[in-house]
Amino acid sequence: MIRAGAALVIALALGSCAPADHKTHLYLQRFFGECGAEYGGSTDISKAEGECGIITTMIARFNAENPDIQVDVNVVAWPGYPQLTAQVAARDPPDLVTMHEGVISDYAAKGLVEPVDGYLRAAGISPNDFTEAARQGVTMYGHIYGLPWDTHGGLFHVNTALFAKAGLMRDGKPVLPNTGQELLQQARQFEQRTGKPYLIQSNVGDPAFAARNLYTYMMALGAPIFPDAKHIRLNTPIGLTVANFFRRINAERLGTQNMDTPAAIAAFINGEGGIYPTGTWMIGSFEQEAETPGRPLYKSYAVFPYPRLWGQHVEFVSGHSWVVPTRKRSPQQREAIARFFKFMAAHNYDWARTGHIPAFKSVLNDPRFKALPHRADIAPLAEIGRPLPAYVQRQNAIEGLVGEEMAAGFTGQKPVRQALADAERRVNTLLSQVD
Amino acid sequence: MQRGRLGIAGWVALAVAALIMVAPLAWTLLLSLKNNAELVGHSEAALHGPYTLQNYGAIFGNSLTLRWLLNSTIVALGQTAGVLILASLAGYGFSRLDFPLRKPLFIFVLVGLAIPSQAVILVQHQLFAWAHLHNSYPGLILPGLVAPFGVFFMTTYMRGIPRELDEAAMLDGASRWTVFWKVILPLTKPAQSTLAVFTFLGAWNDYWWPLISATHSNMYTLTVGLAAAQMNYAQTSGLGYLMAQAVFASIPIFIVYIVFQKQIVRAMAGTAVR
Repeated sequence: MIRAGAALVIALALGSCAPADHKTHLYLQRFFGECGAEYGGSTDISKAEGECGIITTMIARFNAENPDIQVDVNVVAWPGYPQLTAQVAARDPPDLVTMHEGVISDYAAKGLVEPVDGYLRAAGISPNDFTEAARQGVTMYGHIYGLPWDTHGGLFHVNTALFAKAGLMRDGKPVLPNTGQELLQQARQFEQRTGKPYLIQSNVGDPAFAARNLYTYMMALGAPIFPDAKHIRLNTPIGLTVANFFRRINAERLGTQNMDTPAAIAAFINGEGGIYPTGTWMIGSFEQEAETPGRPLYKSYAVFPYPRLWGQHVEFVSGHSWVVPTRKRSPQQREAIARFFKFMAAHNYDWARTGHIPAFKSVLNDPRFKALPHRADIAPLAEIGRPLPAYVQRQNAIEGLVGEEMAAGFTGQKPVRQALADAERRVNTLLSQVD
Repeated sequence: MQRGRLGIAGWVALAVAALIMVAPLAWTLLLSLKNNAELVGHSEAALHGPYTLQNYGAIFGNSLTLRWLLNSTIVALGQTAGVLILASLAGYGFSRLDFPLRKPLFIFVLVGLAIPSQAVILVQHQLFAWAHLHNSYPGLILPGLVAPFGVFFMTTYMRGIPRELDEAAMLDGASRWTVFWKVILPLTKPAQSTLAVFTFLGAWNDYWWPLISATHSNMYTLTVGLAAAQMNYAQTSGLGYLMAQAVFASIPIFIVYIVFQKQIVRAMAGTAVR
């Protein structure tokens, strides 16, 4: 038994030794899941669907088109940052990593990821080609720190059948509000005519939901949410205006109560409310429902960026990007990274089929992109999208704290003013501990 | 327990309790047998057909799944064997041998029970990085060998074995080692079984250390590998696959429970120690 076990371990060890080749190897680490069973070996990107299918096929295609380069893929559990941090600590980081733009500053501030200006130049990519939201998302400390890959943010997913019943359709399009007061009026009208809530909300276990709403409308009102790298300012008249607005929606029961994300998605799909404010990533699933006869959403789905309710029409967004962790690399590897960037930029349209907004202006204006369902309606997100300031570190953790407190404030678990003050205090404590 | 004494009300209560226990497991199994698209927004679709094995097919379609299964098996068995050896030896030492600082040392070991693994994870990670042990079996197995509970458990159990047995063996000329190996160790089988089951289950289910130590996918354990294989928003658009993963990952644990049912129940009831 022991001998058999030892033989097995030795065989495994030997099996792990790859034969030497003459390729330049890049070690790429990504999330988006594993779908080798469905897409393993496929290089036809046009036939791939979903984030996992498309990215798997794209990398296979890159390997096929670049026989002198081998991209070895390591799929990590979402979002992969504990593993990346561990790899950096062990001085064995990958060559390319998928990273949310809000996280780049954590690594860039410590020099753990390289500026990619040189790779972009070598790939013939100009930052002027990026959309405004994408450019802002990867620019910090005077450099570009990643190849932007998409922009994602909140959208108003609309059940047009219920909107029609509520008398809120004009020329075949949903009538979205232009002011906070108008939203409340429409919501009341919607509730009276359909007997259903206007908004579907995931205020339970989804801190991003409340944080996204607060950030978006505070930005619209011109509030400097992060006046500097060490402070957040939420407990202000503007913060109070926005938070009281969402509190009122809940107090008047114009939105669903006590729902987490899966419950809210199910509620929207089953026609239990008018609008579900959630991300770009749900377009594919909702569109599938809209194309299935017999389903509540059948031919009754539209989607738009958050409407302008106050001030400017801007919206809080983030994005996915490819970053290059700092480590020693050969000139061949650096050239391979540039070629990878060039390939990924050239195929940004394929990635936009996931529902995310493209990171390149050329794709945004590409007729193929505009012909995709709903894309013409959501494309403005690329221009109105605003990430948090690049100097703010720990954006993920901050979103968790802000979202947790504001969900409590919006739903009435604690007074709105206290929720704002608590969120501010907790975030400032966190930021005070950041180097 | 005598059946006659339970009465109808008791049986009904037991049946309800059993139903409550089984319901989530049955629900998980049913969900795992459904097409993902059908479950988006309609999880009640799990209550009726058609059922499919496509989610299990997707798990096995990943070329690394069997590798992860093997890694988990090696790590769990390695930790179990290591803990049994070290805890038995330490337990014998603390319960039978007189040596300087025995009591303070035992208290020191017990203090280890109060230190959560998260508190030492940074130092531990750096140590293993320094020793180049990440992404290796020793890197995954060694941290699990630090088992203060095992030492405490075996020490307590061995203290309950009469010293007269040692003395009788020694009078017959047995050495310390012979006493340990041939007299004490066989008497600790119930405790060994209990400790083995708990250690195996802990190692099998461990997620945090393998997540940051095994960063190359061919060295993932099953828990980390299955988590990595999940697509974003798996709880909504990949519910069937998620549940199939849960069922698949729990099968070895289920087998361990079936095989060692008696020891586990005894351990839970606190009867393994005397």
